[in-house]
Amino acid sequence: MVYAIAAIVIAFAVAIDRVRTKRTKLLLLAGLAVLLAVAPRLGGSDASVNALVDIGIYVVLALGLNVVVGFAGLLDLGYAAFFAIGAYTYAMLASPQFGLHLPFWVLLFLAAALASLFGIVLGAPTLRLRGDYLAIVTLGFGEIVPQVFQNLTKYTGGPNGIGALDVPTFFGIPFGQSALPYYYVTLAAIALTLLLTNNLRASRLGRAWMAIREDQLAAAHAGIDTTRSKLAAFALGASFSGFAGVIFAAKLSLVSPDLFQFQVSVLVVSMLVLGGMGNIPGVVVGAVLLGLLNGTVLPQLDTIATDVLHVHADLTQASFLIYGVILVGLMLFRPEGLLPDRERRAEMHAAPNEVV
Amino acid sequence: MHEFLAQLVNGISLGGIYALIAIGYTMVYGIAELINFAHGDVYTLGTFVALAIFGALGISGELHGIALVVDSGLALIGAAVCCGLIGMAMERLAYRRLRNAPRLAPLITAIGVSFILQNLMQLWKGSAPIPFPAVLPNPRFDLGPVSITAQQIAVVALAVAAMFALQIVVTRTRTGAAMRAVAQDRQAASLMGVDVDRTIAITFLIAGLLAGVGGFVSGVYYQSTWFLNGFSAGLKAFTAAVLGGIGNIAGAMLGGFLIGIIESFATWLIGGQWSNVTVFAILILVLVLKPSGLLGERVPEKV
Amino acid sequence: MLSRSLVLRLCAAAPLAFALAACSSNASTASSSAAQAPAGNAVKIGIDLPLSGADSSVGRSTLNGMLLAIEQANAKGLPGGVTLQPDQLDDAVQGVHSPQQGVANARTFISDDGVLVMLGPYNSNVAAAQIPVTNAAGLAQISASTVSDGLTLGDDAKNLRRANPTTNTFFRVSTTDSRQGAAAARFARQLGKKTVYIIDDNETYGLDLANVFEKDFTQLGGTVIGHDHIDKGTQDFKALLTKIAATKPDLIFYGGTTSTGAGLIRQQMFDEGLGNTAFMGGDGIPDIATVAGPRADGTYYTVAAPNADKLLSARQFVRDYEARFHEPIGPYSANAYAATQVAIAAIAAATKENGGKVPTRAQVLAQIAKTNALSTPIGPVGFDAGGDVLEPVVSLYTIKNGQPVFISQQSVSK
Repeated sequence: MVYAIAAIVIAFAVAIDRVRTKRTKLLLLAGLAVLLAVAPRLGGSDASVNALVDIGIYVVLALGLNVVVGFAGLLDLGYAAFFAIGAYTYAMLASPQFGLHLPFWVLLFLAAALASLFGIVLGAPTLRLRGDYLAIVTLGFGEIVPQVFQNLTKYTGGPNGIGALDVPTFFGIPFGQSALPYYYVTLAAIALTLLLTNNLRASRLGRAWMAIREDQLAAAHAGIDTTRSKLAAFALGASFSGFAGVIFAAKLSLVSPDLFQFQVSVLVVSMLVLGGMGNIPGVVVGAVLLGLLNGTVLPQLDTIATDVLHVHADLTQASFLIYGVILVGLMLFRPEGLLPDRERRAEMHAAPNEVV
Repeated sequence: MHEFLAQLVNGISLGGIYALIAIGYTMVYGIAELINFAHGDVYTLGTFVALAIFGALGISGELHGIALVVDSGLALIGAAVCCGLIGMAMERLAYRRLRNAPRLAPLITAIGVSFILQNLMQLWKGSAPIPFPAVLPNPRFDLGPVSITAQQIAVVALAVAAMFALQIVVTRTRTGAAMRAVAQDRQAASLMGVDVDRTIAITFLIAGLLAGVGGFVSGVYYQSTWFLNGFSAGLKAFTAAVLGGIGNIAGAMLGGFLIGIIESFATWLIGGQWSNVTVFAILILVLVLKPSGLLGERVPEKV
Repeated sequence: MLSRSLVLRLCAAAPLAFALAACSSNASTASSSAAQAPAGNAVKIGIDLPLSGADSSVGRSTLNGMLLAIEQANAKGLPGGVTLQPDQLDDAVQGVHSPQQGVANARTFISDDGVLVMLGPYNSNVAAAQIPVTNAAGLAQISASTVSDGLTLGDDAKNLRRANPTTNTFFRVSTTDSRQGAAAARFARQLGKKTVYIIDDNETYGLDLANVFEKDFTQLGGTVIGHDHIDKGTQDFKALLTKIAATKPDLIFYGGTTSTGAGLIRQQMFDEGLGNTAFMGGDGIPDIATVAGPRADGTYYTVAAPNADKLLSARQFVRDYEARFHEPIGPYSANAYAATQVAIAAIAAATKENGGKVPTRAQVLAQIAKTNALSTPIGPVGFDAGGDVLEPVVSLYTIKNGQPVFISQQSVSK
């Protein structure tokens, strides 16, 4: 089922990207929403629903990072830090750790707010940096945050992390151990993220980002407050990550520093680039593809080798290799991503030396 | 005071290895404007190749006399050449076609290439740390309050020599002139008759050579390696390049030594688990105060 | 226009794919044949380990211990003509062991009716994420290597089992950090060490082990001069060792594994004039000579099993393993073999009890909990109510000329 749903989402995303009229887009989107809403009801094991939630969380992350990298053109290599901040917010405020048991629904928004606050704290002093310097600063931040969580053992459980987090409730009904409630929460989160990021893109702020991305100097001369706009991108992007972190932590019932390493930031950036930066359907496609690859295909390589390919090989040993070849191959084949952004594409070809 | 000096020596020799990697990062960035994430893995590959050469020569213990010069020279040159060629091959296969692609596309291929190299090394030698023979004698010299080993001196000397050699190449030779031209404006350089493809390929070759030297040095110095070694070292070297001012060769060396020293002092004074945090925190601080790195020039955003 | 026709095709394809999804809904997870109950009397054993990336070598040698036990049992035959089929999933994502993926894998096993028992995981924090899920589903889980106390002891363990507080589904043949750390502290005092400098790798296993060692060593009258943690991926320990050399300890204790630093620390001790200082660690470092080479000599380490030279089953196991895989055993291969023996014995007993038919998960779980004095390469295995080994024994070894030499053993219980 995981493969089929992923294929459906990709098919719809491609279709939404291709059609021109807004009405058709909305119709397709509504159709997809209905399909996804009823999907788990038509059968499908808990494991596949769980795998879909994992992919869904990546979709939220990718859409959030898209605001920073895709819309505003600021390369952020430490996005997992905000994800960690969101997840640890839930873990510390809804677990036996400090005996605090705040409700999931409150923490969703508190974590989003907290993550965006950290986005501002990081962004404010560093936004005047040139593109690649900003990238390395965010990378450093992404290294610092999980390490701090790992070192402050007294508060964060150190390398063990915090386990046995509260099970969320919905009007008094506990979620339980099934992945199904998280599926709907994630679906709602994706819908909300889509709505917000799509509106942002078309807003005054969105146009300001586009102007900054194309030519910061010209944008500043045109009266755009570049620092403020960039900060807004950082804060908004981070808030989605914090939001996703809460869902992630609640479902897993555990947070630990090794869940938020550099590799996660790189994975989410890869989703954007692979799908098509700046283009929302493209980003969704990238997130679904890489989420599926990392969560379902690669861990099961040994099984796939024996059951599907009928060979006895330790394919798992080579899963990095396979992943690397796919990344390189796709990039050489589609350097602008699978579904490139039309406006962006025009820019790219006009100015090959543009600095992201 | 005694311990201060001892830690300074530790930091400088660690920094020498970072410097060798950082110079490669900075050259590739300066000329091809690419953050070559696979560079750290090329460095690890250098250690693996040197290890394989020693293995093929049947060497497992300390070398003396002629054998010391010939065999370790073979391993050093073998590692350097192999890494240089890998660097060129990477550029030809994975990056050249993307030269005019969106900026982030080569970054992702670099990450992909990094995964490929890591996995190949893991398939070759497994994921556990592997020992490297103690081939070079390591006499210790007592200099007043501190003692320094011959290998520590060699690491630093190599890094400094590499920097000066490169400075000469870049400032005094035709290839160097071509490099500077490409770094400044690729299109204009190409119009002036500079072979851009060749220049960038040579840049990757030099960066790879240095990474190979670094890999050999690291193997001899630590007598151990593993397939993910380049990840952490590469990240720190990249940090060093940015700290020094990316694109600036002397800056990369300075950054490398600084990162090594900061790491040693953080381990000494704050605790080992905070050394990475300290390195990155100082990096952020420096960039906030001096946005183009310590020795970098203020370059206006390209438009 | 091309895009229009593409859209049409995709729209037509979507419901088709959806119908496919609905029909094959339970074939979605592990593999095409995974979810249907296996043919005949086949029973699946789910295995969750890190099989790619940084942990892949230990993961693989742990897996091999499990596969060997399964192959041997199949060759010998089981009651009711049951055959065992391993189904291994990788819990490393992007090269790092991931609790998230561990849970995804556990759910895959739970959703597959053919899986009666699960082996693994390797890492404690993966277990902490899996236990609530397997506990709710009633799937027995046996780990060969997890050591964190909180998985089986105290309020932490209770919290992990809150979905089904009366049932314990998590067992392990590895010992807890508190048992091993306490034993190591006693051994260190018996060796006459008065002062110690502790280093740990700041990972689950190493940090907890080092903390217990610190507490117990102090209680036994020893002095802890300092306790430092290291960063992951550190290769250069000279700064740390320079600092330690100035304090002149009798012993350096390392909480962690050979890969996270034990080998390099032991080696670099010689460069800092600490070559003659004693070095000690837990069951994460018996393979220290693979990194430190001849400099590993004189290292002390503890293993949570009786003297291996006296155990026939241990020597037989090593011979069988080397004959089958053509490589030396890994640090947790024997544990993995023992854990698998427990699972197999339980499946066999449950099958008998069930009149020769394939048993249920609950029946297998009940048999595992009843395990008592099962003979394994790590000594007799039985479980207490929390899922820990009964009457555990910890042995002290040292390395001489690259070979392990048994020194003494003690029984520990906590």
